[in-house]
This record gives sequence, C-alpha cells and structure tokens, in this order.
Amino acid sequence: MRYFNLYSNILITKGANRILISDLQRNNSELQSLELYDIIEALKSHAIETLMGFYDEDSKPIVGQYLDFLVDKEYGFISTGDRDHSFPPLSLEYKDAGLVSDIFIACRDLARPRQLAPSIGNLAIKHMVIYCEQELAVADFLDLEISFSDSSVESIEIFAPCHAGINENYLQQLSEGARRIYSLVFYKCTTIQPETGDRYKFKVVFTSRHLKINACGKVDLKYFNTHLPKVLEAINHNSCLHKKIGIDINGDIRNCPAMPQRFGNIRDCSLEEALNHKAFKNYWNLTKDHIAVCKDCEFRNICTDCRAYTERTHINEAGLDNSKPLKCGYSPYTNQWEKWSENPLKQKAIRHYGLQELIKNEEA
Amino acid sequence: MILILSSNAEITTDAVIMWLNDLKKAYIRVHEDEFFEIKIINKKFFLESYRNRFFIDDISSVWYRRGGGLKFKRGQYHHEAVNQNMNEAHYWLEDYVIKKLEAKKHINKQSNSRLNKLWVLEEAQKAGLKVPRYFLAENTDDVIPGKMITKSFTENVILKSAYEHQDGMLYTAVVTQQEQGSFFPTFFQDKIEKEYEIRSFYLDGKIWSTAIMSQKDKQTETDHRKYNTAVPNRNVPYDLPLETGQKLNELFLALDINCGSADFIKGKDGQFYFLEINPLGQFLGLSAVCNYALDKEIALYL
Ligand code: SF4
Ligand code: SF4
Repeated sequence: MRYFNLYSNILITKGANRILISDLQRNNSELQSLELYDIIEALKSHAIETLMGFYDEDSKPIVGQYLDFLVDKEYGFISTGDRDHSFPPLSLEYKDAGLVSDIFIACRDLARPRQLAPSIGNLAIKHMVIYCEQELAVADFLDLEISFSDSSVESIEIFAPCHAGINENYLQQLSEGARRIYSLVFYKCTTIQPETGDRYKFKVVFTSRHLKINACGKVDLKYFNTHLPKVLEAINHNSCLHKKIGIDINGDIRNCPAMPQRFGNIRDCSLEEALNHKAFKNYWNLTKDHIAVCKDCEFRNICTDCRAYTERTHINEAGLDNSKPLKCGYSPYTNQWEKWSENPLKQKAIRHYGLQELIKNEEA
Repeated sequence: MILILSSNAEITTDAVIMWLNDLKKAYIRVHEDEFFEIKIINKKFFLESYRNRFFIDDISSVWYRRGGGLKFKRGQYHHEAVNQNMNEAHYWLEDYVIKKLEAKKHINKQSNSRLNKLWVLEEAQKAGLKVPRYFLAENTDDVIPGKMITKSFTENVILKSAYEHQDGMLYTAVVTQQEQGSFFPTFFQDKIEKEYEIRSFYLDGKIWSTAIMSQKDKQTETDHRKYNTAVPNRNVPYDLPLETGQKLNELFLALDINCGSADFIKGKDGQFYFLEINPLGQFLGLSAVCNYALDKEIALYL
C-alpha cells in the first residue's frame, strides 16, 4: 500500500466554495477546488489504493492527476508500507518576544517620536510607522535616526508631505545617514517623480494623494502575504491589532490611530500605562474565525483584519465588533471581487466613518 | 544574573536577548573587545571591564555562544622575572575564574568549544550511533569514484555568517575520479544513498529535529548546504527515533557539551547515519521554519 503524507507546513484553509493552499515555508498560496480538499482529507485516513477504490473508472485518472499535482508541488510525499510517522504536526502556537511589536505615530513633526523613544525602547518595539504632517528636512530624519540608534527599533517607515526641496541630493544625503529607515512615502506631490528602485537604502514612493489615516485598512489580493509568523499570528490573534499601539495626531493613545477607543494622552499617560488599561487588548484575540463572512473565506489566514472600519452589522457577546471589514469587496460565497465603496449595503457605514471624501478622491 | 559570552552583533544572541527581556531575566552581555580585570572586593571575586562589572557569585548561569570567551587584562612589569612570576599568578587566577563560571549552570563552555570531528565520530560509534564507513588517506588508492565523498575535518567556528545553510562548514563533494600522487591526509567517507537529511538541535537532553527533504532536486542531493534558492528544500518538523535520540544524548554527554546541532542522514536502507556535530552553528533559520522558537528555549533554560 502507498500513502500520501501531507507536509506539516502546508496549510489548507477551507472557504465556502474553494480552498486556499498556503505553503508556509515557501511563502506562497494558491486557490484550489473543494474537490481537491476532499481528496486531501480522504488521503489522511486511507491508503492511495483504497482511495482509488472509491472512484469509478472514469474518475480514477482525475484523482491520479490531483495526486501528481500534490507531489509535484512538493505539498507532500508518498511512502510505501505505511505512513511515515516521524513527521509531527507543525505547532501553530504564535511565539514572539515582547508585549508590543509595532507602533504607529501620527504627528506634526518628528519631535514626538523622539520624545517617545525611551518608552519605545523599554517596550522593545521593533517596527515604527510615522505619519508626519509637516515637511521634513534631511536633518530631521537624521536626528530621528540618532534618537533610535541604540534602541530595539529595527525598521522605520515615514509618510511626509512632498516639497520642492526633495531632490536627488536630498535623498542621497538621507541615504548616507539612514540605518533603520527602510521606506519613505511623500504624499501631496505636485509633480510625480519616478520610483527610485534600489538606488537608496530605502524605498521611496511619491504620490499626489493627500494620504490620511482613514485610507488604511483596504483589503486586496495584492496585500495578501503568506508568511509563517504572520499566518500564525492570524490564526491566534487579530492580524492587524495584536501587539500594536497607535498615537493619533492629538496625542491620544489607541490600539491603532483609527480605532474609536482612546486610552489616555501622551501628555499625561505613558505608553506602558495605556497598555495596562484593561480594554487595550480587547481585540487582540479576536480571530477571523469569529468575524462575520471572513469565517467562511478561504483568504482568512493571510488577510488582515481591520477593526477600525467595519460594516457595523455584528456585535459579539463580549461587545466586540465582529462585522466584516468595511473595505473588503470580496465575497467568499460568490468568489467575486467588487468595489467595496459601491456596495449599497456598506453606504451607511461609509457615512458613519465619513469616508465619502476619501472615496471621491481615490476615484478621481 | 546570566552571563552571555558572544561575538558582537550576533543574531542568535540578539534573538535570545529579546526573550530574556520578555521573561524579565537579567543578563550581562560580554563583547569580543572586552578585557576583564580580576579584583577581590570584600574577599569576593569581582570582574571589571570598560562596559561591565560583576561579582562571580552573582552569576547564576553562563551561555558561551561564540567568540573567544572571557578575556583578561594583564599588567606589564619592568623586571622580566617579576613579569614571569606575575603572569603565572594571573594565569591561575584566570583559570580559577573560568572554572568557577563553568561550574555554574551553562550552555556550552569556552574550554571545550572546539570539537575534533574525528574524535566525535569515534565517540559517536561508542555511543552506538551508526556512522558511514570512513578513513583518512594521502591518496585515492582505496577511494571508489562516485561512491565516496570527501569533506573537511577542520572546524570552522571562526567563520561567521547570518543564516543557516551558510554557516561556514565546507561543502561535501562526491569524489568523481581517482587522482595521481599523494596529498595531505584527507577525509573520505562512504556516500549514503539518502532518503532525507535530518538536523537535530540538542539542548540539555532535549532534541528538536528538522527533516531536510532534498531528494527531489538534483542540485542539492549531496549536501543541502549548497542551497538552491529558487526552490528551497522542504524543511519540516521531524521526530528522531527514540533510540537514535538516546544515543545522541549519550554522545553529547560523552563529549561534555550540552548544546549543539547534529546532522544525520536517513538512508534509503532505512538506517539513520550520524554525520557530525556543530556546537556553535546557526540554528534559528530551521527553528523558525519549524516554529520551534529555540531562541525562547535557550532563554528559558538560562
Ligand atoms: S485596524 Fe484598520 S485602520 Fe487600524 S491599522 Fe489596522 S487596518 Fe489600519
Ligand atoms: S472576506 Fe474579505 S476581509 Fe474577510 S477574510 Fe475574506 S478577503 Fe479578508
């Protein structure tokens, strides 16, 4: 007898009409049919020969093709005599040191992140995103780098308004001093400059849009990311808000700057104190398995879960909003992607969040 | 207080330190360029460098990760005879300090971090592990082309690199033809027809293994470290047979090291062949792929 052994780092997520096969080692995912799902399931308890016996002569070649596909993609291997029992399942536990890994800071200038540096170091935060309202000089960036030169922060992404002084020389100087800055986005550009490729130590994007925090949370195929730690986090936690802290433009501390609840202001409350607030982590353990619609979606383990903008249709027993993310146009029941902003059922929520202008600008 | 001896900016050390912070365990990280002066304060041994100062008694555990281990400052004296005498005194004080530290709970020791690969193979056989037939020779007279491999028996712990599969070990190559004449003693070993390779991480009696399935790709068949970046080998959590695990444990005990990575081959004949042990290699790459969080295990142990 021959047996098919599915590798433990192949994750199959079953949706309403299809499955997503995620290769957690090679970091890619592909859509497949429910028919394949049934075969994979049957192969877990039956030998290949036994399984073949269930099918009539016409279907056997199809099952054979599926099997070839699984072996060819190296989703598993065939053993003879018995299953190879030396392959234990992959632990799905999410293990990551530290209480907070990501911080989002909205600010007028870079004094605010510098001022928060001691707390950020103390919390051993690794990733920082800064949304700045004022135009920045090279020296501003370099001062920021210096403030974090001896800290836990590994990566910094900055959004700042475009201005006439941003040219090759400016970026070159910045690149020489940059250690942690890996991505720059200049918004409200009047002239759009080409992407800079790998000329600098960081990626640079120029956009004419007036980016605002309410542009966050869009769901699209291009944002999906098959990456083992992210997938494990999504299986166990909210894939966006877990281990995140945000400061809005007014200095209010929130889980993310767009979340409704505030937990003090940086004027008189430390990040550590805010994190200790009993409601701060309310959404951290809410997974996609408990979100309306998403729970039937094959993308749920590689998708983000925005809780700041939702369809506002469901509240769970704990009082948490478990509605589908507002900015997702996908339906796992029809398998169609449509424009979320045009969905009539979403209009009430769009008005609630005041997103009409955002939508208008994005379409312009 | 945990004492960590490592090279600067070493990624495994950084990762473990993240966990020590998370677990609220205090530690001292000693850098490569640190030289300690041995002092006696209130009758107790005290070590001081430009970055760190501590009593030996306050150290609860020691992790010898990499680098040259603890280094000491020695005074220079004008008089040659005095100098010799003092050097001798320094030596015994330093020796005492290292012995004291190594007697504490530890992960590996600086005094036996250098493993002799030939010795390890003998000890492995004594522990009951199966080792592919090997010999040293100065010519290829007894080498069967295509059926034997050659590899380095020197250690390469000084070589640093960021990730698994590049950790400084020399690649294994199949001997394809006999050569004329003689050369420096070279290691030859029977090539095992393999089903897959296994790398086992060992820490104080516990073993975490990863199967490295390389048979599908010709390019990586002899040694998975010649990494094929287009389609990486399938790496998955693996359980060594209980008996092999016990023998591996015996081997580590015999070598008096309590942490390291061991390589095995599972042959097409169903046997497990022991290849070698690397006490200081990088293991976080495979740890991440298998979600073993070995950095956390180390932090918990210390
Ligand atoms: S919760 Fe929504 S708005 Fe907040 S960071 Fe996540 S995706 Fe963005
Ligand atoms: S329904 Fe949309 S938001 Fe929900 S998991 Fe699927 S793609 Fe993501």
